[in-house]
Amino acid sequence: MSLWVDKHRPKDLMKLDYHKDQATRLKSLVQQSDFPHLLVYGPSGAGKKTRIMCLLRELYGSGAERLRQETMHFTTPSNKKIEIMTVSSNYHIEVNPTDVGIHDRVVIMDLVKNVAQTHQIDSSGQREFKVVILNEVDDLTKDAQHALRRTMEKYVTTCRLILIANSISRVIPAIRSRCLTIRVPAPTETEITNVLQAVCKKEGLSLPSELGARIAKCADRNLRRALLMCEACKAQQYPFTSDQKVPEPDWQTFIRSTAALILSEQSPKKLGEVRQKLYELIIHGVPPDMIFAGLLRELVQNCDMVMKCQVASYAAQYEHRMRLGNKPIFHIEAFVAKFMAIYKKFVEESLM
Amino acid sequence: MQKEKKWFKPLFEFGDSPLPKKVKRDTSKHQKQIVNEESLPPNGCLPNINDKNWMKNFNPVNVEDLAVHIKKVQEVDEWLNTACVNSNNDMLLLSGPVGCGKTATIRTLAAKHNVKITEWITPLDIEYPTEFGDYEFKVPQSKKFNGVSATGLKAALKRASDIISKKYTSTYNIPTADIIESVVNTSGGDVRSAILNLHFASLKGSSSNLETSIVKEKEVRNKPTRKKKSTSNKFMSLGKDQTVSILHGVGRVLNPKELINSAGQKTLTHSPKDIIEQFITHPTSFINFLEENYLPHFSCAYDVDKAASALSDGDYMLAEWREKLCQEYGLYIAVAGLMLSNKSPVSAWNPVRGPKNMKVQYPSLHELPLLEPNYLYKGKVLVTDYITYCKIIENPT
Repeated sequence: MSLWVDKHRPKDLMKLDYHKDQATRLKSLVQQSDFPHLLVYGPSGAGKKTRIMCLLRELYGSGAERLRQETMHFTTPSNKKIEIMTVSSNYHIEVNPTDVGIHDRVVIMDLVKNVAQTHQIDSSGQREFKVVILNEVDDLTKDAQHALRRTMEKYVTTCRLILIANSISRVIPAIRSRCLTIRVPAPTETEITNVLQAVCKKEGLSLPSELGARIAKCADRNLRRALLMCEACKAQQYPFTSDQKVPEPDWQTFIRSTAALILSEQSPKKLGEVRQKLYELIIHGVPPDMIFAGLLRELVQNCDMVMKCQVASYAAQYEHRMRLGNKPIFHIEAFVAKFMAIYKKFVEESLM
Repeated sequence: MQKEKKWFKPLFEFGDSPLPKKVKRDTSKHQKQIVNEESLPPNGCLPNINDKNWMKNFNPVNVEDLAVHIKKVQEVDEWLNTACVNSNNDMLLLSGPVGCGKTATIRTLAAKHNVKITEWITPLDIEYPTEFGDYEFKVPQSKKFNGVSATGLKAALKRASDIISKKYTSTYNIPTADIIESVVNTSGGDVRSAILNLHFASLKGSSSNLETSIVKEKEVRNKPTRKKKSTSNKFMSLGKDQTVSILHGVGRVLNPKELINSAGQKTLTHSPKDIIEQFITHPTSFINFLEENYLPHFSCAYDVDKAASALSDGDYMLAEWREKLCQEYGLYIAVAGLMLSNKSPVSAWNPVRGPKNMKVQYPSLHELPLLEPNYLYKGKVLVTDYITYCKIIENPT
């Protein structure tokens, strides 16, 4: 049994549920004999990967869907052995270079070189290039990005890169200019409800429109999450009722309780407790920018308009710092401390 | 891939067939065999580098010369005696800080009993011999050495100065009691470093004036990374730095002490500038320590705001590793910010904790059997989207 989100993933460019105009353009792009490197970007759960897999199918036929998993080994210049998981078909290979942290440069250089140096064996009616898909390009180190830019030029005859990112603001301009950038915007809530209805129909279930709309709202315009939520709702209670509870992700609940902790008392001791919670979030892999956004959303609910502006501006400032700095916890904690100071002052003044 | 790997590591193997490990170890320079007069090295190809080592001049000859506490020496002596009799691969583990005389004790005692010593110094560039792991460590006897006491050190240095006055007056000035005392003061229980410093302080050729010779030496020995601190101590620090451990440094930052100078102004006993000079070689680990430990010292939310903000600024600056100045400024901002922001410090004993390991643990695919086997999931997405719902779908209650 596989998840709905995997089972009902469209496989053909023409069968995509939204951004249909873009799909047609993509189709005509690959029908030309050649296409440039691509940089596909958009928020999480918008359908970037789905579109890319459709594109590969368009390029190479169903052979691109026969996937296998492989662990590849690399050696860093400092002689450290690293290994990374890859998923590949005969025509492409996909990898998350950020899995190996600061050694991502080695992975990019060696992997692309390997792929580029082996020519396509079965070239009958196929393209003479292979495709390398790199995930989370915006999280690559600067070093790796520069390495990528050089490899891109060098092996352009034998391989095409498809880069995936959430935002291109952290992709160096040199890479941006060498790729055709394709933006995949998040689906609207209506589009999400339509997909949910369609999937439920395929599963032979009837989804009340109110519940569908509520799931779409909770999912934060993330289609993947919406489908998972919908399936979880089904697992918890079927037949659906329009007022049934939509479960929210664990980490959101956790962030909410952390925010409540911050509001309960503003003192160094409390900040210490909050820090433990933040540690837990970070160690479990919740991205720090989502922690920031989640905290801000919860905290400003208890602020008046003036304070809201102030708090949001500080959140932006510290979030920016975090992107440029080393350790996210420093900056999240500084933001929490700042909020505590502002809130405490507000409470003290209103008591006087 | 295979070829490339080979290309990258031509460490020692030059021929096609690498030498067997045994042979390699024997010819390796890192393994020294120290033998006494009766048994010369079998092949004679191992020059004892200590022959030309001037420090050997001061090596203890008799057991009485050792600066180690007499009781410890006796304990080791007893063990050696029983081990010689039984000879069933008995093991003794000597531990203790650097330069407290572990090796010297064993050597001297071995010479006394005419025992041959084979020394294995773990070399950096050779992997541990695999046989090493096969040893059954049947809880070896263990003796813990402490740093050498000031009296013991002084006696040892006295002995060294006697040797100087007897044999080496051509190379050394005879060290004065002052020099000996200041060497003892700065060495912190490390005999080896004390002897080195004594050697340096009493070399001939420097000015006969003691004060200037010390000052001059300070100038010569000043490395850019570590600077000496003029302390209120009676003796000038000589040679070695008064190194401040990271925990000590953390204490100085988080419990800043103030002095009131003659003009009635408050100054910090340890200025941020002095502190950062000690830690500029590893700013990130120092700042991590500070971050982990600063909170319990604060009592006011407003002060914490300033401190946390300073740490955030510091981290932001430190991230720019290509610019050396940024490292210094980043550290300075964090240290000074922490020292100055705390207006109402909590005076309680707080153990210093090490920075938390922030390695992200993404869920493994085995935990989530519902996922497609041949699909590349991103760790982040597993955490933010899949994990909660997979659990619910698998187990709705």
